[in-house]
Amino acid sequence: MKGMKQPIVSVKDFSLTINEKTIVKNLSFDVHPGEVFALLGANGSGKTSTIRSLLGIYHATSGTLHIDGKPFTPDQGWMVGYLPEERGLYTRSSVLDTMVYFAELKGLPRAKAHKLSLEYLERVGLADKVNVKIKKLSGGQQQKVQLGVAIIGKPKLLILDEPTKGLDPVNRKLLLDIVDEYQQKGTAVIYITHLMEEVERLADRLLILKDGKARAYGDVDVVKKQFKSKSIEDIFVSIYNEKSSEVANG
Amino acid sequence: MAKLKSVIRHEYWTIVKQPSFWIAMLATPAIIAIALGLSYFGNKSVEDRMGQIVKQLKDVAIIDESGLINQTVVDSAGLKLTPPSEKDELREAVREGTAQALVVFPESLVKDRRYKVYLSSTDFTQMGSVTSLADNLLRTSIFLPLGSAEIIALAQNGADSDVITYKNGAETAGLNEYIVPGLFLVVFYIAFIFSVGYMLTSVSEEKENRSMEMVLTYVNPRTLIIGKLLAVILVTLTQIAFFLVLAIIGYFVMTALGNTLTLPAGIDLQKLVFNPVAMFFGAAFLTVGFLMFAGLMTATAAVAPSSKEANNFSAVFFIGAFVPFWFFTMILTDPENPITKLITYFPITSPVVTLVRNTVGNMPFLESLAALAVMTVFMIISIWIAVRAFSLGALEYTNTIKLTSLLKKK
Repeated sequence: MKGMKQPIVSVKDFSLTINEKTIVKNLSFDVHPGEVFALLGANGSGKTSTIRSLLGIYHATSGTLHIDGKPFTPDQGWMVGYLPEERGLYTRSSVLDTMVYFAELKGLPRAKAHKLSLEYLERVGLADKVNVKIKKLSGGQQQKVQLGVAIIGKPKLLILDEPTKGLDPVNRKLLLDIVDEYQQKGTAVIYITHLMEEVERLADRLLILKDGKARAYGDVDVVKKQFKSKSIEDIFVSIYNEKSSEVANG
Repeated sequence: MAKLKSVIRHEYWTIVKQPSFWIAMLATPAIIAIALGLSYFGNKSVEDRMGQIVKQLKDVAIIDESGLINQTVVDSAGLKLTPPSEKDELREAVREGTAQALVVFPESLVKDRRYKVYLSSTDFTQMGSVTSLADNLLRTSIFLPLGSAEIIALAQNGADSDVITYKNGAETAGLNEYIVPGLFLVVFYIAFIFSVGYMLTSVSEEKENRSMEMVLTYVNPRTLIIGKLLAVILVTLTQIAFFLVLAIIGYFVMTALGNTLTLPAGIDLQKLVFNPVAMFFGAAFLTVGFLMFAGLMTATAAVAPSSKEANNFSAVFFIGAFVPFWFFTMILTDPENPITKLITYFPITSPVVTLVRNTVGNMPFLESLAALAVMTVFMIISIWIAVRAFSLGALEYTNTIKLTSLLKKK
């Protein structure tokens, strides 16, 4: 069924070179509404650069990167929720001000931004912190606000780069439940993580990047069959062990 | 447009809601008031103390070998002139501490303009008071032949001048002509000292707290920078309004207390001149100069990996804004000098130099127009550099962006 739907993300023959260094080479993949798409790879494999290019922050050297059928511009901000790996908030602003500001930047009217922010803060147990400055919150509470900033406004596409990093088990479960919920509502989720148990639990399809190239791509079950493996972790390790052997072989 | 409004609102309130913003604004007039108060009361206290010490100085011997010291003046101070023959003996008495002080006005006083004071202690206050006493004896003795106390005061202190100037055969308002265009220079420095730095802080902080990537997903760099610039302009207007309100309150408090406001150098608020051409150029130089510096600060913050390095790099612009003061006399008196011309058009000195020259009216209309055109070009370049640096450096957290990368084609 998923294959029948129009992809929300479509990347074709994408390459990126920065300062004469090839970061990503001839990458193609699609992400469909209502699926969790795991984007995997070791540090420096090109995951973050791909996402930044998809969001127009980096300019692709060649190829096309489309969200909802066209290159992404900030005007389409309402349809994307992005939680980057390098994330932070305005430490001197209050929780509510921060959430409302980002919601407005996504294109939500101020009153609606205010209402949705309060609803979210209520849900994640931060209702009593609305006027507290971000710097006064604990790390976990700040993570919740960051996630709220990403998901506010019912986006069509959620891009979560290591979303559970630094979260305790309770908050981690809360976050994964929210991801489930959004997926049920038809939101596509690009999920970047180094935690393979999260991929096993959430992902419908995956892409494993190595040195900027796709090494495994498709439905999780199909990829497992291709690699004759029962776990994604084993697949990941075998792909990255290839690199060691390549280096070892010269 | 809605996003621009959101950026402006967010940036403006982020700055204005900070306690440090109000502390800095309140501290400036408070420190000035405290310094003036301390200086006034301190001086008064010193004067009183000196007066007391002078009254106690009865054991001071005066020897006049110059013939300039008047006996009546010495007598009126409660002292006595001692014959020069007793000089060695008195000096010895001072050395041994049996006499307090000895002042010797030598024969060569007119030629060398020096006299000697011998003191039995190293007390700094006593040193000052005996010297002051001796000085007064000398001055009063010299001026005494002039006659009345008023004439002596006139000779000692000089007189104030009322300067009447003419332009094209008509009397001008003199110094009062400079006040209104000069206010643009004052506003420029208020904006420069208090507000331009906010651009640096704002961009540096977004980089340091890693909120930049989330922001850039939803707003393009140009909108973000223009929003920040407009917010900083609003902050500046807030600061100006604050100081204006403070000045008005101060004026009414002074008036209510029965004090009249006496402005220096014959400045008369009733005679202010509102020259539309000077006001236009003042406002234009101020706006364009401010935006140019704000753009340069943004670019600096964007290319530097941390706020600490951004602050170090920005020092050069602060120096640039104050360099014209080293050439102040030249700017005022020699507008045709090549150095004056150079710093009129040089990017980081041009805002202050043009504002100063516009204030004193030594910048012809066409030259003002040319300078404004050049400054506008610099402003556009600086904002272009800011946007470009921002696009390249906003997500660079470890390295400084190189100039070659900045100028390279996309």
